[in-house]
This record gives sequence, C-alpha cells and structure tokens, in this order.
Amino acid sequence: MTIRRAVSRAIAGIAMPLLLLAAWSLIAREGWLPDQILPAPGVVLATLKEFIASGDLQDATLISLERVAKGFAAGAVAGLGFGAAIGLSPRLNRLFGPTFLGLAQVPLLAWMPVLILLVGIDEGLKVILIGIATFIPVVLNVAQGFRDVPPALREVGAVLLFDPWSMLTQIVLPAAVPSIFTGLREGLANAWQTVIAVEVFASSEGLGYLMAWGRQLFQLDLVLAVVVVLGVIGFALNWGLARLERRLDRWQVRPA
Amino acid sequence: MFALEITGVDRTFHVAGKPVPALRDISLSIREGEFVAIVGGSGCGKSTLLRLILGLDRPDRGEVRVGGQPVRGPGLDRGIVFQEHRLLPWLTAETNVAAALRRSGLDSAQRRQRVAEYLDLVGLTAFAKAWPAQLSGGMAQRVAIARALVNRPRFLLLDEPLGALDALTRLRLQAELARIVRHGGTTALLVTHDVDEAVFLADRLVVMQPHPGRISDVLTVDPAARRDRSSAVFLRVRDKVLGMLGVETEAVRAGAYETAA
Repeated sequence: MTIRRAVSRAIAGIAMPLLLLAAWSLIAREGWLPDQILPAPGVVLATLKEFIASGDLQDATLISLERVAKGFAAGAVAGLGFGAAIGLSPRLNRLFGPTFLGLAQVPLLAWMPVLILLVGIDEGLKVILIGIATFIPVVLNVAQGFRDVPPALREVGAVLLFDPWSMLTQIVLPAAVPSIFTGLREGLANAWQTVIAVEVFASSEGLGYLMAWGRQLFQLDLVLAVVVVLGVIGFALNWGLARLERRLDRWQVRPA
Repeated sequence: MFALEITGVDRTFHVAGKPVPALRDISLSIREGEFVAIVGGSGCGKSTLLRLILGLDRPDRGEVRVGGQPVRGPGLDRGIVFQEHRLLPWLTAETNVAAALRRSGLDSAQRRQRVAEYLDLVGLTAFAKAWPAQLSGGMAQRVAIARALVNRPRFLLLDEPLGALDALTRLRLQAELARIVRHGGTTALLVTHDVDEAVFLADRLVVMQPHPGRISDVLTVDPAARRDRSSAVFLRVRDKVLGMLGVETEAVRAGAYETAA
C-alpha cells in the first residue's frame, strides 16, 4: 500500500520533467528553433559528459558551492541571531526593525557598486552578497516565528516557573522551528541564485562564469548543461534541508 | 485556616479605551481539601478570577491569598488544567508531565518515578511515549491533569477542563476527576458553565453573574446529590442553580420542587 503510494508519487513527480524533455526533443528535431538557440538534448548531454571528463564542471561546481557555503553560513548564523533578537525583544525590534525592513527593500544587485568600492571585486564581494541574500529572508522568518509563539504555551511556561533558558529551549525554539526552516530554505535558494548572478557579472570561475562564457561563445549547449546542474544541486540542497526539518519536527503527525 | 482567601477583589480591563469591569468586589474563602465549583455564563469573569489566583494577573483592588500568603506570581503550589490541553506538541506525554518538574528540586530518578506515578493515576502508562497529536482529546486532557498534579500542588485549578470534550468523554472524565482529586486530598477550584458537572464534583457551588462579574450565590451541595446524577436531590440542586443563571427547567415551572424546597 505505502509502496504503491510512494511509486505513484514518484511517477507523478517525474512526469512533468519527462514531458518537458519530450517537448524539447520534438522542438529540436523538427527544427522549430535554430540549433544555436536550442540545441538537442543529446548535444547537451554530450557537452555535459565532455565537461565532466575534463574536470571543468566539477571545478566550477566546487567553487560555486564553496562560495554558497561561506556566504550562506555567515548569513544564516547572523540572521538567526538578529532575527531571534528582534523577534524576542519588542524594544530591539522598535530600534532595529524599521531600518532593517527599509534596507531589505534594496535590490541585492544595487549593493554591488558600493561593495565593489569597499571590498573590491574578489572573493569577499561574492561572499558578502550571498550573505546578504541569505540574511534577509532568515531574519524575516525567524523574527516572525519567535513572535508567533502561541501565548497560551508561553503561559504554560510561566505557570511551570520556567526560567528564560527553559522558556527558550522548551517552548520558543520548538515553536519557531517551522518558520526558521522556511527562512533557511528561502535563504539557501537566494544564496544559490546570487552566486550565479555574481559569477556571471564578476568572476573568472564557477558555474555562473561557465554560463557567461558559454553564452559569449554562443555555446548554448554549455549554458543548458549548467542549467541542468544548477537545477539538480538546488533540488538536492532543498531536499536536504526539508529532511533535517522533518527530523526536528517529528512530533508533527503527518498524513502518511 | 483557609487554603484560599479572596477579599474585595476588583479587576477592570480596558477595551478600545473604555473600562470594562470584569470582576467587582469578589470575596471567597476555600477551606483546605474542599472542592469548589464556580458556575456562570460567559463574561462573568470566572476565568479572570482563576488567572488572579494563578498569579498570571493582578487585581486592581483587594487581595488574593493562598495558604495565608498574598499571591505575587505563579507558583508550583497551584496546578492548572486549561480548557485546551496546552500540552507542548513537541514533547511526549511523559516529557510533558516531566516538564512541570523542572523547578521541583527533585533529582532525575525521583522525577521519573513521579511522572510514572501520575501517568498511572490518569491511566495513560501505555501512552507515555506518544506525542500529543497522537492522543485523543480526552487522553490529552488526562495528560494535562497529570501535569497539573505532578508537583503535588496545594491547589488544583480547573478552567473548564472538560469543556472541549465530547459528551461521553466528559462524563467519563468527570468521574475520573472526582476520583483523582479525592485521592490526593487536593483543594480544587473548578470553573465551568456545565451546572451538572459542578453539582456532580463540588462540595460547594459559587454562582457568578456577568457585567460586571460578581458572586450572586454560594450554596453547599448535599453529598447525597453527588452519588446519583438522576436522583431527585441532584436534580433539585441543578435546577435551582440553573434558575439562578436564568434557565427555567420544566420541572421548576411545573412547581415540582415547591414542597420539597
């Protein structure tokens, strides 16, 4: 029963990609779009194999992943701390909340000219931008999650004479877990998008650079190959975080 | 000595800038070991009164004393069961009960033993490892009762504890509540709008009226009434209280109790 359900779910999930792949093959075979714009799936696969064989794809992927890891870690840690602070303390929220919300409205790429002047165009710039991209959704969601702890449960803590530490670890944090993870997942998605953006703009390595390079050479097969890699990695990262959340939230009885 | 003394308590809330008196001149004393029920319609301030006793709120005037000491805040000498079970959803039945012992001063072996004892008292030993979401409403409420009692409080406060349960579960838990409270000899204060429940459980009934919340009557329940819900004496007390709350039963209208009362 559960196996059948899992199989049918997997089929439902894979149906759409297969359909897109079929449409892609059809369009390429019938020549509805020029080869330079939409190379056939087989060509993209061949390019993918070629770049894996030469090691270029792995190198680029590792460089991009490392940047994401650094920026995301910094943004997430800072975001958790700051989000918790303004979520828990109305006073700190009054003090920092409006400024943060104002700055959060500034599009990420608008920071680039200023940051380039401040830190140059090297590794620091990329990590800082990825960090900001992570920081903003993490702060927004964490603060909301901390504010939204049901007052009825806080009251239970008060009645049981919980000290601030017990209140935090037994009531506030567990109640905020879903919001924290929403923030982390949004932050990770942002980080992943940002690394590509900054690499397209200002880098000589990484997956974003590979894409920019492919576009300049009119090698759309390379661009599409990188798109496939990006999709797979993004999906895998999101899946990993979702699994971690499930472990922490195992008390939630989910429909089987 | 009185376990609880409330003297001349007023409490006013401000809703949209306007003062709304929730409690006016409440005085009530409860003896050690007594089971008192407060009945009244919605808006009569009965939950506000419980919050004052719990120490989650302060009176504007008057005083609340528990065991002779003025209430300054929550304390482990008062256990509470709310209408919603309010179990922490991320803790199991067992760890929810154990959470109440964090400030008890007991060592971990004593805690384990105490938790087991009270889960057994409410008949949920087999569900010790279950999450609240896996328990029925009645079972979750029984865990909440165990949590309220595990510190062996002087006072058990019950804020419409069975109000959210289905009728059958409620009847079953009323009997169990009677057993559990008598077992520990705890002083209990039950707030309810279910007059049957109040008559069945309490030694004394306090009738409250709304706008502003005040005590209109206090009556002692004949122990004979508690033994049988369908006995004449039970029905007479119940109908009398319902009458005080503005609900006339057919029997009262027909004058069935005229001679008896």
